[in-house]
Amino acid sequence: MEIWILIPVFLPVIVGVLLLLPVKQEDVGDGSKESLTRLHTVTAAVLVISAVLALLAAWSGDNSYTWFELMEGIPIYFQVDDISRLFVTVFSIAWVLVCFYAFTYMEHEGKERRFFGFYLIVYGVLVALCFSGNLVTMYLFYELMTLTSMPMVLHSGTRESIMAALKYLFYSMCGAYLGLFAIFFLYKYCDSITFTAGGTLNLALAQGHTGILLAAVMAALIGFGAKAGMFPLHAWLPTAHPVAPAPASAVLSGIIAKAGVLSIVRVVFYIVGADFIRGTWVQIAWMTLSLLTVFMGSMLAFREKIVKKRLAYSTVSQVSYILFGLSVLSPIGMEGALLHVVFHAFIKCALFLTAGIFIYRAGLSQVDQLEGIGKKMPKTLWCFTFASLALVGIPPASGFISKWYLAQGALEANVGVFGWVGPAVLLLSALLTAGYLLSIVTNGFFPKVKSNAHVAIAAEKAAAPETDVAQTQTDPLSGVTEAPLGMLVPLAIFAALSILLGVFPNPLIQFVSRIATAVM
Amino acid sequence: MRAFFLAVLVLLPIVGGALIPLLPFRDRKQMMIYTEGVVLLNSLLALTVLFYRPEGAFVLFRFTSNLSLSFSLDGLGTVFAALISVLWPLATLYAFEYMSHEEHEKFFFMFYTMTFGITMGIALAEDLVTMYCFYEMLTLVTLPLVIHTLTREAVLAGRTYLYYSLGGAAFAFIGVIFILVYGTSADFVAGGVLDLTKIGSRTNLLLLVYVFCFFGFSVKAAMWPFSGWLPKAGVAPTPVTALLHAVAVVKAGAFATMRITYYSFGTEFLRGTWAQTAVLIPIVFTIVYGCSRALKETHLKRRLAWSTVSNLSYILFGTALMTPLGLVGALCHMICHAVIKICSFFCAGAVICQSGREYIHQLDGLGKKMPKVFAIFTVSGLALMGVPGLAGFISKWNLVKAALDSAHPLAVVGVAALMISALLTAIYMLTISVRAFVLSPKEEESTEMSLCEDAQTDRSTSLKDTSDGVEEEEAAAHKIVPYDEVKDPGWMMLLPLTLFVAAMLVIGLHPQPLIDAFTQIASAIQ
Repeated sequence: MEIWILIPVFLPVIVGVLLLLPVKQEDVGDGSKESLTRLHTVTAAVLVISAVLALLAAWSGDNSYTWFELMEGIPIYFQVDDISRLFVTVFSIAWVLVCFYAFTYMEHEGKERRFFGFYLIVYGVLVALCFSGNLVTMYLFYELMTLTSMPMVLHSGTRESIMAALKYLFYSMCGAYLGLFAIFFLYKYCDSITFTAGGTLNLALAQGHTGILLAAVMAALIGFGAKAGMFPLHAWLPTAHPVAPAPASAVLSGIIAKAGVLSIVRVVFYIVGADFIRGTWVQIAWMTLSLLTVFMGSMLAFREKIVKKRLAYSTVSQVSYILFGLSVLSPIGMEGALLHVVFHAFIKCALFLTAGIFIYRAGLSQVDQLEGIGKKMPKTLWCFTFASLALVGIPPASGFISKWYLAQGALEANVGVFGWVGPAVLLLSALLTAGYLLSIVTNGFFPKVKSNAHVAIAAEKAAAPETDVAQTQTDPLSGVTEAPLGMLVPLAIFAALSILLGVFPNPLIQFVSRIATAVM
Repeated sequence: MRAFFLAVLVLLPIVGGALIPLLPFRDRKQMMIYTEGVVLLNSLLALTVLFYRPEGAFVLFRFTSNLSLSFSLDGLGTVFAALISVLWPLATLYAFEYMSHEEHEKFFFMFYTMTFGITMGIALAEDLVTMYCFYEMLTLVTLPLVIHTLTREAVLAGRTYLYYSLGGAAFAFIGVIFILVYGTSADFVAGGVLDLTKIGSRTNLLLLVYVFCFFGFSVKAAMWPFSGWLPKAGVAPTPVTALLHAVAVVKAGAFATMRITYYSFGTEFLRGTWAQTAVLIPIVFTIVYGCSRALKETHLKRRLAWSTVSNLSYILFGTALMTPLGLVGALCHMICHAVIKICSFFCAGAVICQSGREYIHQLDGLGKKMPKVFAIFTVSGLALMGVPGLAGFISKWNLVKAALDSAHPLAVVGVAALMISALLTAIYMLTISVRAFVLSPKEEESTEMSLCEDAQTDRSTSLKDTSDGVEEEEAAAHKIVPYDEVKDPGWMMLLPLTLFVAAMLVIGLHPQPLIDAFTQIASAIQ
């Protein structure tokens, strides 16, 4: 009777597919305002309805529904538990808000029908991924998520974006097949492939096959870690996220990277069980890889000059905070990780949306070009500031809470040297985060006063094309105004969320601690 | 129902096909109706016979007292016979539209229809000798189809095909002789026919013979190092490459290896021996090798052919696991791969036929002009790489399940190879789709091509024998259609394509009846 779990999955997918179907040229009316408004209305209506239904399905008790048997003993099965609730709520809020932002943003990208078509489809697939009740169902929607989100990356159709999309596709596929490799083994050695808090591994059956099973778990970690941007399969992320249109980058970084986290949580805590890998080489390797990624991501972000790319590297680093929190295998570490899932999703959406506004309003994509932008768009930059502070982890903003738990989890867990190396790396990375985000803020609000010598050299250098010089000399930011309301409101909500969740964190903390104690 | 009908299934297409050049057709349409009629009649008859399952054997004629051409029906044969009976009428329908721009149609359809009967003979053969005879005949009757265009390249490819196949059959023949000598009979019996008392201490010799025999039959299944002929044979018209080089001929090779492994030598005798390792190693290698070559290939049909090389080794992998589950996996992949690969080949053929473009870099932007064909191609690509919900995932799942269950040390390596191969498959299939749908077409392509051709004609006078000459002939075979005039093909091509997609979905979403049937077939084997 609980077939209505499927409605929030299928409604957006079906409408999305309908949007993608080729239409007669006169119906498209690319330029016409009317058809665009129609498209926006349909997208918004479908998305909001599905999001409401998804949240209803999530918060109305432990629903479960077997759709059909794929093979004997392998049903396509959906169930709602606390993890699904957490993820589907975060995903839905972010998806809806970014959608409203995209209505304005996509005006200058064009091909909106295609974009919103895929945007809706991916939402449906993500809801299904959150509700997946067993490994094969999860794998099915994981693959579909990769395939349907790829067109958002190559949206602009430039050569660069296509190569980036292919890179995204192949890294993700590589990850997915590593995951599938593990699923084969887990299917053989587990009592059931249905997600059960605490794991379903049959230790008697696994006796004597521990080595290969641990290798399989490691394959799953690396494989699903590809989506989360974990080293060694991280390289696609800084390539693919920045070339997508800003709303797409926001959801790719904020949400879809989290789908990788979700899959890892499912495999480790709901199938294998934390006890099986505690203290093994897998845990050590996992901790090492995630810490390495945290550090490397921050360093690369610090060096990067293109705003969106900097943010993408920041994602690489921050999502690995989450993975580190999971890898210590202690309840508090997991609480920190899950909190960071929520906070990072909202923060990173806010940051990417700001970067999008800079591009939309002024065509600025380099960090250097943003000097003095705060004078022109104070509201936008304030939102960026709040989100940055939250990501750095300055109390009382949200990032502080999650990092506190992450560090505490590492210290409490019995993980030897990682107990203090972990927090140290997190701290170092927080410093770097401050460096790469707050420098944008300070430059934006307080542009450097250019010394005479500096100007002279610049003028000399550019002496030949004099007209160009004249243009660049007369403030590149002239004529730039504050972002339109349609973009500013979602951004402000994200920024507010990233602060407020840190001020009133208690309900959320209670919720995640319930999850963490259930699985460990 | 009597076993006599089994012989009808084999002879009807052979006779019916042979009559095509002799009958006085008034126009092309009559020939089409006749050919499709014969094929369809035989298919329907075949499915009816398979449904009623006649008992006993039918002896067509005897060479000597214990050597005969005889037919009977068992589980394994049913699967193969059903597969080809379903695909043949569809492929024939497709061939009508495709062949309208080729010459010598009558001879083409003659051999095309006759091949149906010969393949049926392999499926229904009661014993090793009968199968071997039809196996040889298959080589001979498909040779004219490979060299159909009579270009230099086609003749060369035909020659390669002939040498590989005959050589392989010669090796297989060794196995046939040994089975006749050391077996209780040459009939196919689940579990094998070897008489252990006769073998005595000559176990190693028999194992060696098995390896020879397996390699011999696997030539048709294009296992490395005998895979070279298949991509070369891609010069044949697409209906041939699609049906014969993705399904009938190559699967006959895989089918033959199943027969000798499970029904002649017997898995009990082979499992765990060095012979199993000796066949598994090249198989696992081929799985990765075929995909890598496919990735490197820029010619559309040849890329698909290399992909077939890799996928056939999936089937051989299942076979060489030598467990009942392995046979289930192999049969699963035999069916799934047949549907998927024939579909992607037909798409390739439709592209070549409608646009004249054969190389992948020429396909930029064609997805906008032929959305249906490329959409179907994408689906078949997804199925081939094993996205759940489509056919490929089911067979992969069963193969891996069997591999992990068999506990052979090489099985885990094989699973890893399957995963690598799946990744490579994703790369070589999806780049085509992305190219077609996203990139914008290259400007002035047609003029560029004609310039090329001019340049080549100048050179070809002096370089007739070099590969340039071959390429030029190939380019001349299909005229490049200007981008704006490219469009989706007619219903005769689209109907089979749609049916294949439907089949992929049905198998992918509801495979249990199929798996149950295969499990029942395999349960006879210990």
